[in-house]
Amino acid sequence: MNEIAVFFLHGLAYAGLLFLVSAGLTLVFGMMNVLNFAHAAMYMLGAYFSYSIMLRMSGQIWVSLIVCPILLFIIGALIERFLLRKVHANGHVAELLLTFGLAYIITELVKWYWGNYPLAVNVSGFLNGTVQMMGITYPIYRIFIFLSAIFVGLVMAFILYKTRLGIILRAAVNDSETVNTLGVNVPLVFMGVFAFGAALSGFAGVIAGPLLSTFPGMAHDILLDAFVVIVVGGFGSLGGAVVASLLIGELQSFGVLLFPKLSIALMYMLMAAVLIIKPSGLFGEEQ
Amino acid sequence: MMKLKTNSYVVIIVLFLLGAVMPLVLRRYNLFMLTEIIIFALYAVSYNLLLGYAGLLSFGHAMFFGLGAFVAAVSIIHIPGLTLVSAVIISLVITTIAGFLIGGLLLRHKGAYFALLTMAFNALFYAVATKWHSVTGGDDGLSISRPELDLGLASLSVSSVSSFYYLILIVVGASIVFCWYFTHTAMGKTVLLMRENEERMKFLGYNTNISRLILFTFTGAVAGLAGAFYTLHFQFVSISAISIDMTTAVLLMVFVGGTRTFWGPILGAFVYIIFQNYLSDITDRWPLFMGLIFVFMVLYVPGGLSQTIVSMRQWFSGRTGTHGNGPAQTEET
Repeated sequence: MNEIAVFFLHGLAYAGLLFLVSAGLTLVFGMMNVLNFAHAAMYMLGAYFSYSIMLRMSGQIWVSLIVCPILLFIIGALIERFLLRKVHANGHVAELLLTFGLAYIITELVKWYWGNYPLAVNVSGFLNGTVQMMGITYPIYRIFIFLSAIFVGLVMAFILYKTRLGIILRAAVNDSETVNTLGVNVPLVFMGVFAFGAALSGFAGVIAGPLLSTFPGMAHDILLDAFVVIVVGGFGSLGGAVVASLLIGELQSFGVLLFPKLSIALMYMLMAAVLIIKPSGLFGEEQ
Repeated sequence: MMKLKTNSYVVIIVLFLLGAVMPLVLRRYNLFMLTEIIIFALYAVSYNLLLGYAGLLSFGHAMFFGLGAFVAAVSIIHIPGLTLVSAVIISLVITTIAGFLIGGLLLRHKGAYFALLTMAFNALFYAVATKWHSVTGGDDGLSISRPELDLGLASLSVSSVSSFYYLILIVVGASIVFCWYFTHTAMGKTVLLMRENEERMKFLGYNTNISRLILFTFTGAVAGLAGAFYTLHFQFVSISAISIDMTTAVLLMVFVGGTRTFWGPILGAFVYIIFQNYLSDITDRWPLFMGLIFVFMVLYVPGGLSQTIVSMRQWFSGRTGTHGNGPAQTEET
C-alpha cells in the first residue's frame, strides 16, 4: 500500500515536470503553429544556468527560479526576432528545420561549456527535507514540483482566459490579419509568446535540475515525452496538456513498477491507441 | 514514357561507367566510403520523394531504414544458409508492410502534426530496438558476416571491398534510377500535382489519400532497402541505425543537396558523408557544425546546393555539367 502511494507521488512529480515542459511547447504550437524542436534544448539551458547560479548561491533555488526564466525569455525573443521571423515566409518546413538546427547548436554549446557528464544539483533549505504523511516519508522537493506546476498552470489559464492580453492572443490565433488591422502589433505578440514559451522551458529546467541532475541527454529525454503529452492531450490544448501529463507521469511511474521491461513502450502504446481512437488527441479540436 | 529526354539516359550511362572505373582509381578506404555514399544516396532519394515531391515532412524516416537494417541482420543470423538476395527481399517485404501500416495510421495528419507523429513513432522503434535485447542485441548491436551472392548458376563472393562496391553500384544504382523513373510515371506525377493543388486533384476524381499512402509505403520500402545494404556494407548494425540521429542525417543530406531536384539529395549524400568523415577526424564538435550548417542553409540557401548550381548554370547559360555521384539527372520539379 505504502509502495503504491510512493509510486503515485513519484508519478505526480514527474507529471508536474512534464506539464511545465509541454505547456510552453503547446502554447507556442497553438499560437504560432510552430513546433519548437529547440524547446527541450532551452529547458536544458535553463537547468545548466541554474546549476551555475546555485553553485554560487549555496543551493538556494529561488534566485534561479527568477533569473533563468528571464535569461531564457531574452534568448527566446532574440531567436524569434532574428531567426524564426526571417524564415516564416518560407513556410512550415523551414521553421521546423530552423528550430531543429538550433536544438543541435544549443546542445553542443552546453556540452562544450559544462562538459559531457552529469552534474548533480543540490538544493538547500527546507526543500531538501522530507515530510511525513500517510505513514510514508516523502521528499518535499517532489511535492514542490507538483505545486509549482499547478501554480504555472493557473497563471497561464488566468492570463489566457481572464485578461485582455489573453483575448488578443486567442484572437491572433484565429485571424492574425484582422487583429493586426485592429491596431495590435501581432509580430510583437508572437515574439512575446515565443519568448514566454522559452521562459517556461527555462523555469521547467530549473525545477528539473535537482530532480534529475543536469546532463546533456536531458533535452532529448524530455522532448519525446513532452511530444507524446501534446499528441495525447491534443495539439495546442492547455487542458489536454494537464490531463495527458498526469496520464503519462503515472504511466511512467507505475510502468516501471509493474512492467519494467515494457516501461518505455507503454507511453507510445498509449499514444498509438489515442491516435487510432481519436486522432486529434483527447482534448484537441478536429482539424 | 517515350518523352523522357534521351540525354537523361546518356547521363545515367556515363555515371554508371564512371562508377565502374572507380575501383581502378580510388584507394581502398575511399572506395569503401564511395560505397557508403551510394547507399546513403538511395536513402536520401527515398526521403526526398516524401519531402520534395509530396511535401510531407517526416521526422521518422530512420524507422524504415533501421527496420530494414535490423531485419537483414536478424534474418542472416537466424536463418542458416540465407542468400544475400533473400535477406534483402525479406527486408523489403517487412518494411513495405510497416510502411503501409504506419502510413495508414499517420497520414491522417498533416504538416507539423505529421512531423511530430513520425518522430514519436521513430522513438517507439528506437525504444523497442534498445529494449528487445535478445533479438536486436540492444546497445551492443549485431555483427554479421556477409553471405555470398547466389545467382542461381554461380555463386559469387562479395567479401572484398571492390566486388561489394560493384554489387552496390549496380543494385543500389539501379534502385535510384528506378526512383527517378517512378517520378515520371503517372503515379509520380500525381504526387507532384497533389502537392501543388490537392483540392483540384480531388475534384478531378483522384483519391489523394490512397496516392499518398502508396507513396509513403514506397519510400519506406526504398529506405528499408538502403538499410539492408547498410547492414551488408558494414557487416554490423547498431541501434544508431534506427535512432533519430539517422533521420537527422538524411534530413540534412536532402536539405543540403536541395529538395527541388531529383539529383540534389544524391549530391547532398556525397557532401554529407565526405564532410562528416573529415570533420569527425578533426573535431568532436561535429553536431555543432551540423546545427550551424542547418541554420545557415535554412536562412540563406533554402533551395540547397542543387538550386545554387541550377541558378549558376542559368547564369552561365550554355554551360552544362553534371554534379554529384550515381545516376543523377537534372530536371525541373
